Amino acid sequence: MNTGEVLRIEGLKKQYPGVQALKDVDISFSGGEVHGLVGENGAGKSTLIKILAGIVKADEGVFRFDGKESTISSSKDATRHGLSFIHQELNLVNYFNAMENIFLGHTYPRHYGPLVDWKKLREQTRTICDSLSIDLPLEKPVSHLSAVQRAMVAIARAFAVNGRIYFMDEPATALTDVEKEKLFNVIQSLKEQGKTVVYVTHNLDDILRITDRITVMRDGQVVKHSRTSTMTKDSLISAMIGKNLASAFPPKTGTIGKPLMSVENLSNSLLRDISFTLHSGEILGIGGLVGSGRTELLETLFGVRSVTTGTILLDGTPYRPGSPGEAISSGVVLVPEERRKGGLVLSRSINENITLMSLPEVSRFGFLRHTHLRRKALEAGRSVRLKASDYEHHVDTLSGGNQQKVVFAKTVMRIPKVLMLDEPSKGVDVGARFEIYSIIRDLASHGAAIIVVSSDFNEVLGLADRILFIREGGMTSIHDNEGIDQEQYLHYCYGRTHA
Amino acid sequence: MNTHSKTRALAIIKTWGTLMGFLLLLIVFSTLRPDVFPSGRNMRNIIEQVATLAIVASGVTVVMITGDFDLSVGAIASLVGVVAALLMKSGMSTLMSILLALALGTSAGLLNGLIIAYGGLSAFVGTLATMTAYGGVALLISKGTTIFALPENFKVLGQGSLSLLPVSVLIMAFTVFVVYLLLEQTTYGRRLYAIGGNEEASFLSGIRTRQVRLIAFGVSGFFASLGGIVLTSRLFSAHPQAGSPFMLNAAAAVFLGMTSFREGEANIMGTLLGVFIIGVMGNGLNILGINTYVQSILTGAIIIFAVLLSSIAKKRQK
Repeated sequence: MNTGEVLRIEGLKKQYPGVQALKDVDISFSGGEVHGLVGENGAGKSTLIKILAGIVKADEGVFRFDGKESTISSSKDATRHGLSFIHQELNLVNYFNAMENIFLGHTYPRHYGPLVDWKKLREQTRTICDSLSIDLPLEKPVSHLSAVQRAMVAIARAFAVNGRIYFMDEPATALTDVEKEKLFNVIQSLKEQGKTVVYVTHNLDDILRITDRITVMRDGQVVKHSRTSTMTKDSLISAMIGKNLASAFPPKTGTIGKPLMSVENLSNSLLRDISFTLHSGEILGIGGLVGSGRTELLETLFGVRSVTTGTILLDGTPYRPGSPGEAISSGVVLVPEERRKGGLVLSRSINENITLMSLPEVSRFGFLRHTHLRRKALEAGRSVRLKASDYEHHVDTLSGGNQQKVVFAKTVMRIPKVLMLDEPSKGVDVGARFEIYSIIRDLASHGAAIIVVSSDFNEVLGLADRILFIREGGMTSIHDNEGIDQEQYLHYCYGRTHA
Repeated sequence: MNTHSKTRALAIIKTWGTLMGFLLLLIVFSTLRPDVFPSGRNMRNIIEQVATLAIVASGVTVVMITGDFDLSVGAIASLVGVVAALLMKSGMSTLMSILLALALGTSAGLLNGLIIAYGGLSAFVGTLATMTAYGGVALLISKGTTIFALPENFKVLGQGSLSLLPVSVLIMAFTVFVVYLLLEQTTYGRRLYAIGGNEEASFLSGIRTRQVRLIAFGVSGFFASLGGIVLTSRLFSAHPQAGSPFMLNAAAAVFLGMTSFREGEANIMGTLLGVFIIGVMGNGLNILGINTYVQSILTGAIIIFAVLLSSIAKKRQK
């Protein structure tokens, strides 16, 4: 069993346009340890993992596997070095069963020449599962398995090809408490087999419970690195945040006005009985864990998902959008969670992206008014402090923060009544974040009602006037954002109505 | 060469490579047969030959911008030609026959859109099926034979000229201009390109993505029909499979066009270039007396070469 250092990374650097994602990162992983990796969004965790997975190429840095210098330039290299990645979108073949998935990328046992020896395959799969204390139905297609079982299939597959370091990125978010225990047991078995597990999560309780060592990242650097036994939740949080909370958010300016949107007993397949009233000038935070129904609530109000029962009034008139198009023309606009996936057309220009929601406003009889369009786009871009040399450039040439500003500019052009923001600062570096927060405050002080969803609870605490907590699709409580601290916040997320 | 100038060279190849290839083709053919190939008469010949393909391919460009595909244009062109011919022979006026046939072909395109955008079939499977069905209808109503003896005034579209300019070439120019306006100057064009770039983001920006795709198939159906009419007039007879070569040639032209002017996006000027590459290849190889089977092989090879070259240049640049 190898309990020495398996991988040491030195001087790792990665620059994206406008953002230094990693600045000189040193980190090392040992055999037989569970290593926690924490940091706020944008701290550099995902860049680090992408580099190790061979998806992104580092600008500088040295990798030493068992002391020997090596490189990672493709996912093949990563696999060759025994690195495996268990994340939410597991690369499983859905209609293959567990055995077939586990032996994918390995050789199936054969007999009679080229024929697969199914009996032996089953035995070998059992051996792997037993040694990891995994209990799985082997014959069902994996699409019929639960989230945790699928994660276990992925772990067993990595184990079958002699994986040495297992990177798990938020593997427990969609899991129930019982399922989570099962996952932790498997992690324990991996550790006992001398493997390394790198566990990435926002859930600090989990990190403190199952890891041996923790590395904290902030702004592309390692800011803390020690044994878990010497750390507490508070010391982790202060290392992650770095500065005190209040200064990271612009002060509140406008006042809260009349009720703008009232939601009563809203239910559909993913939500039940959600009720709240949203006022103009108000910022309402939605608290809850990933998978609690936060995003689904926004999507329902935006017409992506349909309403089964309940009523919504917008400015006193019934509102039930059947599509985003209808929501937008009623003045309800969403800044979606994945900007690159849902917010932007990366291959098109800044001008085109900013005006995409407002094409009727920049055209006459369906023909574009180019001069007018450019002027409008420039106005919108200026109002969100977009930094771009030329609005004819493709948006994928911009930094994360400026890309997000393009999405904001697009929504600002609509002058929304209700603006919904899903993870507004995701992938935005710390400097630009403050600007994004200022834009949100600005919009609110001009009378827009704003709903914010974020995995970063400091963001919700720093911005919101009130916070609605939801869990498993139902609302648990709604609080004025006064004197709620991070610990209380998490308690509310877990469904406790008072701390 | 240092990396900077290398990147610049690659960028030039990526944007202008296909155009340079086209010019090279012209030079090669002119050198090999200086007496025949570059003559005014032959140039006019080439333009007349490619006019119908350019009309059909312009429509296919619209569909391919959103990432869809239209295999049925050849079958629609054939069907429309047969229908127009039968209507004319039944005694209907030439103009009325043409308009009705165009309406039918446009509806066939809209039906494609309905099946694909609303029914959820992949564009490939959907238009493969309708191609087969529309082709079947054309064979059925024509009884599988060529329809001759069309009214004399029908000749003008494919064979007439307005002073010096052939009418078919004018129709081609008109088509290219209309599609250019549609793609570059209208909100509809913006929506098409947005969907092609990111369908989900377009939907979340309030674009009715299915409707936009449906209309694109309608546009493709209309121009396939127009191409079919001009072709029928040019041949002065309707055959139930006359339009078949459009299916692959139109797609090939759009693919060639995607390698030029705009990075990886179907665009009308690129398509026009693609059409001319295919036309010049066919004409030049004919003049050199190269057998048509070999011509097909060479056309296929050139498409692979052009697309590979531009995708390699694109990768290197990143």
